[in-house]
Amino acid sequence: MTHRIDSLALSRRALLRTTAAGAATLAAATIVGPGSRTNRAAAQDAVTVRLVSPPSSPVERGALETILDEFEAANPGIVVDYQPITSEYNTKLQTDLGAGTAADVFTLDSMPAPDLMAAGVMEPLDSYMSEAGITAADFYPGLIQAFQQGGVTYGLPKDFSTLAMVYDTQAFADAGITTPPANWEELRTAAETLLESTGQAPIVFPPSLDRYIAFHYAGGAQILSEDGTQIVIDSPEANAALEYYYGLYTDGLAATFTDVGAEWPGDAFAKGLASIVFEGNWVIEFLKTNAPDRQVGFAPMPEGPAGPATMAFTVCYAINAQSENKDAAWTLVNYLTGAEGMARWTSISGLLPARPALAGEYVSQFPDREVFVTGGEYARPWQLGIGGEKFNIDSKA
Amino acid sequence: MATLAQAPGSGSAKPVKYKNPLAAEDAIAGWLFILPAILIIGTFIIFPIVLAFWVSLHQRDVVGSVDNWVGLANYQDILSDNADFWIAFRNTAWFSLGVVPTQTAVGLFLAVLANRKIRGKTFFRTAFYFPSISSSVVISMIFLWLYQNNGLINFIIRKVGLPTPKPPWLSNPKGVLEMLWTGIGWDSAPAWIAGPSVALLSIMMLNIWTTAGTMMVVFLAGLQDISGDVYEAASLDGATRRRQFFDITVPLLRPVILFVVTLGFIGTFQVFDQIYVMSAGGPAKTTTTLVFLIYTEGFKFGEGLGYASALAVVLFAIIFVLFLIQRRLVEKKD
Repeated sequence: MTHRIDSLALSRRALLRTTAAGAATLAAATIVGPGSRTNRAAAQDAVTVRLVSPPSSPVERGALETILDEFEAANPGIVVDYQPITSEYNTKLQTDLGAGTAADVFTLDSMPAPDLMAAGVMEPLDSYMSEAGITAADFYPGLIQAFQQGGVTYGLPKDFSTLAMVYDTQAFADAGITTPPANWEELRTAAETLLESTGQAPIVFPPSLDRYIAFHYAGGAQILSEDGTQIVIDSPEANAALEYYYGLYTDGLAATFTDVGAEWPGDAFAKGLASIVFEGNWVIEFLKTNAPDRQVGFAPMPEGPAGPATMAFTVCYAINAQSENKDAAWTLVNYLTGAEGMARWTSISGLLPARPALAGEYVSQFPDREVFVTGGEYARPWQLGIGGEKFNIDSKA
Repeated sequence: MATLAQAPGSGSAKPVKYKNPLAAEDAIAGWLFILPAILIIGTFIIFPIVLAFWVSLHQRDVVGSVDNWVGLANYQDILSDNADFWIAFRNTAWFSLGVVPTQTAVGLFLAVLANRKIRGKTFFRTAFYFPSISSSVVISMIFLWLYQNNGLINFIIRKVGLPTPKPPWLSNPKGVLEMLWTGIGWDSAPAWIAGPSVALLSIMMLNIWTTAGTMMVVFLAGLQDISGDVYEAASLDGATRRRQFFDITVPLLRPVILFVVTLGFIGTFQVFDQIYVMSAGGPAKTTTTLVFLIYTEGFKFGEGLGYASALAVVLFAIIFVLFLIQRRLVEKKD
């Protein structure tokens, strides 16, 4: 008995010691930072380029790692140290830039881009681009413009997503609607018919700017003046757009996702709580996984008084202005956003190619995404000038 | 307490000469022993406090491209009429006024129960304390589900046959007192007495539930310091249990109550995680608290780092004043 207690005490002490050692190792590992990809540096004088991005899913992360392996194989002199950042990416990026410890290459959302472009922490890419024979015209205008300020290009779009109308073809057929509504009046009529046949609010949208803004633009309203110096949100067009959008809600034709008990509109659609939602191409994979039996169709956003409008949610690759390996960083950015690299990336990840030249091949691989790709031709960037990111966050609070 | 804290030679007003070289060595050894603590506290507490005050006098962004001396302009902005500060202050004040008295009362009630000789005492103590030691983020996420439109809380309300709030709990910006005012026909009640929104009240409930356990443990320790003789003498004199509670337990627990209330005010004025996870300050800014405002102003792009630092200094001043008032109140009665 005594012996057992002794051994127990001993093992407890050993445990304590191991725990302490373990904790120390863990702390050290955290400080040093995990090298997520194995750096098989081939040449001794290889340049290491540090890349950070917030992967939205394990699939996306896997796809990027595949592409980076291919890049390293094609560029023996460059090793890419990829560090995925899974939460609070923008906050971390800002503090790293402030502390001078930011990565050589980072991705950046269109919304906060104007703030960082103005802060001078992003390397101007124009000279690199002209040397490599790349022009802004190689990309959809709505995407590349998001990363230009004062005639200077600071980032190249890596891919994008657009909004489209996602509808339940079964519910449409049951209600006798043969073609998806193409404009605001048709949408209202279709919603009224669906409400009668299904008994629930057919449209589910979020009470937030990032979906409403497509209606705002389709109604011919603006948020910022052409030169970006004034807020011109108050206009008759804006009133009409808001009345139309909010009218759908007050007339019981639309509900918010919290009203119906879903986590987001796509979730409401998957659960059969909505027949029409306005979402981006990310909804396709979500529905395949979560509601494989739903009959789903995709159509462009209904046209408003001012014609068609959709939003482009895009992200760019940018080079840190303080980077010591700018040439190697550019080689990486140029590969990831170039015709060959982007074709590989979009074919694996399923995200839309930011280069119109790649659209044809992409659509033949992913026919169900055609509507989203063609939206790129007239999509406007999800961007509200300097301070837009803060406004967007404030508007949600 | 004071005698314990005195270092050799530092207690008297006169400069002390070390007659004994060993005493000097002792002093050096003493400093060496506390050096790690000085370094850590200096680097991670004192220096950031001074820096925050310094930054609060600047207009500055996180990236470091803008850094202008603006003097007290940030403080003027904070105290100007249309600042978000007042919204956040109002929300935080409602939060504190709702949470602190309730969690103190519930904590005391639980402690008195758990102090009795009842079966399963240990189980109850553990069960009540459990929420306090769980991760606040995890608990917030669980409550997020509970509060959903078709979550457990609405499910039970529907089962009982009562109407569920629309919009659901965490998306409802309506003030609870405002609902009361409209209920009694006063339609033009000013905004500052609209009370916490339904969303904020939902988060307050969560906070009371998690913190009451911590307060219970503190009260339990206090209760065990009260000698049983006092109660025995009181019951011999014919005091009822009720009188014993109000005339013996509560007065003897006064220092503990001060501690719990102070802790409660500091904690509630610094509430952040629950807000960050559950509502992100919305709907309609009705759950934007001071610390959440500091976070969004400071880190969400723009040139608000100085403004956020100034907010932090103001928050410090508010908590400090609250603490002084509490101390004064308690000392007077003693």
